[in-house]
Amino acid sequence: MVVRTRVRRAFRTVIALVIVGVLLFPLYWMVNASLQPSSALLETPPRWSPIGGTLDGYREAIQEQGRPLLNSIIIAVGTVTFTLAISVPAAYALSRFRLPGTGVLLFALLLVQMIPGIVMANSLYAVMNQMGILGTHVALILADSTLAVPFAVLILRAFMVTVPTELGEAAMVDGAGHGRILWSVILPVSRNAVITAGLFGFLFAWADFLFAVTLNSDDTIMPVTVGIYRFIGAHTANWNAVMATGVIASIPAAILIIAAQRYVAAGVTGGALKD
Amino acid sequence: MHNELRNGARRLRAPSALLAAGLVTLGTACSPDEGEVTTLTSIDYNLAEPQNSSTQAMLDECGEQVGVEIERDAQPRDQLMPSLLQGASQQDLPDLMLVDNPDLPQVASTGALLPLDETGIDTGDFYDSTLEIGRHDGTLYGVTAGVNGLALFTNTAMLDDADVEPPATWDELGDAAEELTGDDTTGYAFSAIGNEEGTFNFEPFLWSNGGSLTELDSPEAVEALDFWARLVEDGSVSQSVVNWSQADVKDQFVGEHVAMMVNGSWQIPVLDEEGMDYDVAPLPVPESGDDPATPMGGEVWAIAQNGEEREERAVEVLQCLLSEENLTEWAELNAYVPPKEALAQQLAEDNPEMAPFVESVPTAQSRTAELGEDYPEVSGSIADAIQEALAGSGSAEEALSQAQQSVPTS
Amino acid sequence: MSARLARIGFLAPIAVYLVLFFGYPLVSNITMAMREFTAASFYTGDAPFVGFENYAAVFGDPVFGTALLNTAVFTVASLAFQFAIGLALAVFFQRHFPLNGVLRSVLLLPWLLPLVVSGTVWRWIYDQEYGVLNQVLLSTGVIESEIPWLASTSVALTAVTVANIWVGIPFNMVILYGGLQGIPTQLYEAASLDGAGPWKRFTNITWPLLRPVSAVVLMLGLVYTLKVFDVIMVLTQGGPANATETLTTWAYSLSFGDLNFGAGAATGNLLIVLALVFAVLYLRSTRESAAAEQERS
Repeated sequence: MVVRTRVRRAFRTVIALVIVGVLLFPLYWMVNASLQPSSALLETPPRWSPIGGTLDGYREAIQEQGRPLLNSIIIAVGTVTFTLAISVPAAYALSRFRLPGTGVLLFALLLVQMIPGIVMANSLYAVMNQMGILGTHVALILADSTLAVPFAVLILRAFMVTVPTELGEAAMVDGAGHGRILWSVILPVSRNAVITAGLFGFLFAWADFLFAVTLNSDDTIMPVTVGIYRFIGAHTANWNAVMATGVIASIPAAILIIAAQRYVAAGVTGGALKD
Repeated sequence: MHNELRNGARRLRAPSALLAAGLVTLGTACSPDEGEVTTLTSIDYNLAEPQNSSTQAMLDECGEQVGVEIERDAQPRDQLMPSLLQGASQQDLPDLMLVDNPDLPQVASTGALLPLDETGIDTGDFYDSTLEIGRHDGTLYGVTAGVNGLALFTNTAMLDDADVEPPATWDELGDAAEELTGDDTTGYAFSAIGNEEGTFNFEPFLWSNGGSLTELDSPEAVEALDFWARLVEDGSVSQSVVNWSQADVKDQFVGEHVAMMVNGSWQIPVLDEEGMDYDVAPLPVPESGDDPATPMGGEVWAIAQNGEEREERAVEVLQCLLSEENLTEWAELNAYVPPKEALAQQLAEDNPEMAPFVESVPTAQSRTAELGEDYPEVSGSIADAIQEALAGSGSAEEALSQAQQSVPTS
Repeated sequence: MSARLARIGFLAPIAVYLVLFFGYPLVSNITMAMREFTAASFYTGDAPFVGFENYAAVFGDPVFGTALLNTAVFTVASLAFQFAIGLALAVFFQRHFPLNGVLRSVLLLPWLLPLVVSGTVWRWIYDQEYGVLNQVLLSTGVIESEIPWLASTSVALTAVTVANIWVGIPFNMVILYGGLQGIPTQLYEAASLDGAGPWKRFTNITWPLLRPVSAVVLMLGLVYTLKVFDVIMVLTQGGPANATETLTTWAYSLSFGDLNFGAGAATGNLLIVLALVFAVLYLRSTRESAAAEQERS
């Protein structure tokens, strides 16, 4: 019985490895390309492995993309902080209070995500200009948060609705206000959802290109997506360096996602509900 | 995790404080009634080398000469117009703008540009054709520091091996392309990407065959597009050209996957750096004896109406950029043709591979002369028609008659 | 009264935020679409009111039909495959096996890539002459001659859609996996005791209980897919010959290619209306399921 289970599990691992192999092939191809001399990309048959390749691409990438990478981290962390600060109370209110206009607000949150990015960018430029923050990290944090906030509120609310109201009511009887209840009762059981919302906020900000390129005319706050784009424009023949930059740009986000994945997997909500 | 966040926040504060300080100084420098102008702003899309460093160096040098600091912003090509329009909407355009010449009418139509006719900028000895690209409704709004055009680049060794001469007419071009096409190479390539680059590559063929941008469904225009479509159908040109920018075409040429290509003079420094052995010839014409007609390529400098004092300073900088010394330096570093005749002739003498480009300048046509601000829309329709004929199911005739609908009737 | 104020306090920030960062753009886009808005309008602020002329021009443009159809095909195919594959992976990774956590994390990596980069990678994979896809298909004898994946009007849309599905799978997997984790395991245990097989457990427990999360995923997926821009821009720029032009890329090229901002804004508004329709459908379905739940209890 135990042996059979183990065999079955090992078999699943094999299937999972195959799935990962197929789905991540484009990534392998990117890493492969980053280690090849540029000319190798236009060869038939293609070079399947980077063995005997070159690190030139990485040398060039690190030299040019250090500052943009730092900017991306600042902007992404700022976006997550701001997004959660505004979304968590909103989601709590939307899941708990029967306020007039709740439906309208939910509907608006869905709808606003539809506004084409380029429309947003044009108007945000005007707003930021009025606020006098154009060309700062804050401008990009606020702009990127427009991608993350509606999503975060909807996701957080969807999870908070499933939290039994009794959990909060018990605390209410003890005299706790809504702020306390949110902070010490609802948030801990919603940790999964909070981390998921934060994670996606980070990724939205990390991958944003349109806002970064339209709201920013200053090299000092340029994030890495724009850095890569400019790099492509400036070095059309240096594909290995372009891909090396892509690989490097993925690393901080990759570390974060692997760390956060543990929390998402922990199934905290499920645990809390079962008890 | 928590520490990381806190560090992130600390890092955030420091640069934004710096920036805030920067904004304050910028603010004082910008306001016109604060007296002395010490800072000018400038925008261009020269991100690629060698243009990038030469633009920077030239602006630094001219700024120093005039006694102002020039803050240069370089945007990707397709972001330049959006950021100019955003700037325009806030009445906040850069003092100096280097824009692609077909885009100039659009920027000029805003009324935000300084007319340059009476600013004393010296355009004596300029080819008329190079001034034409800076005009909008008869007024000069932009002056070029160097123009470029298209020519036929051929891989010397590949042509020698196949015993093929660089073609001069369409028939010869078709034969040569077929001859040079092998298992791993196609004989010929051009950019047919769905934007201005594709249209730019097609225009010489359209014009030299007697076609015009206002009558896209004329037999001459259809014949020209049909010629392109047949080359793709024969396999002498890869169908992938519909996705190739001019830079992609150059990469294919450098990789020796293409024996002949249409491309601009600005590729010469790159080809030289790669150690390519190539020749440059004027673009083939329909029949021997026909006049070549290339579109004028290149950027023009324009100045924003930002108050008298800033304008004066910007004009001084522009004059410095247009000094003979600087024109020649720019031309030599970046393989552009100087707009002044004497300098251009000298350049052709010193650099034989530039000769076909210099030759084409006097007759080169402004893309926007006929259509003005309507050019971008028509250009887009032409690019669509090219793609439809090369990669779609429609014939050249159907595709072009569709494109004709975008030409304003008045 | 103070309780009510406190409640409003929770919602005030988001309300202000929505008005400032979404309301304003939305209103300006609606007014822009009713004006003849050219490049000059940006500087002079002068844009004559033209009523619904921009909409008429958009509807009358032959590209409109193509773009609408492309948008429908692209969106439906992307959503269906992203969701199906994402759900299959989420269910699969619920099982216990060695390396589960690591492999699941690694599968999220495509989501991290800036689209500028992943688009470029896919461009190489699809390249007609040197792309690895054609090379593999040729050498295994699946095809006899190279397929111009991105250069032919007949396959380009498929190629672009596949790349977009690839980008979207991790998103679907993460959210659906989270939803699956929320389903109490006792339900499965009880069903197993009753002799229900895996398929029966899926249709009777997983599918109905996952419905709210599925609805969110599909709705957000729809929203993001309709907005997809970078992938198409990097791969084909909407070409060849508008074969991959969607309403979003067309709105962009109307505005920034043709500099016809009125028509671009009108197209953008059509997209919003389209989303509005689906949003209403979504809300109705959630209200119905909420009502059904209340009846049950």
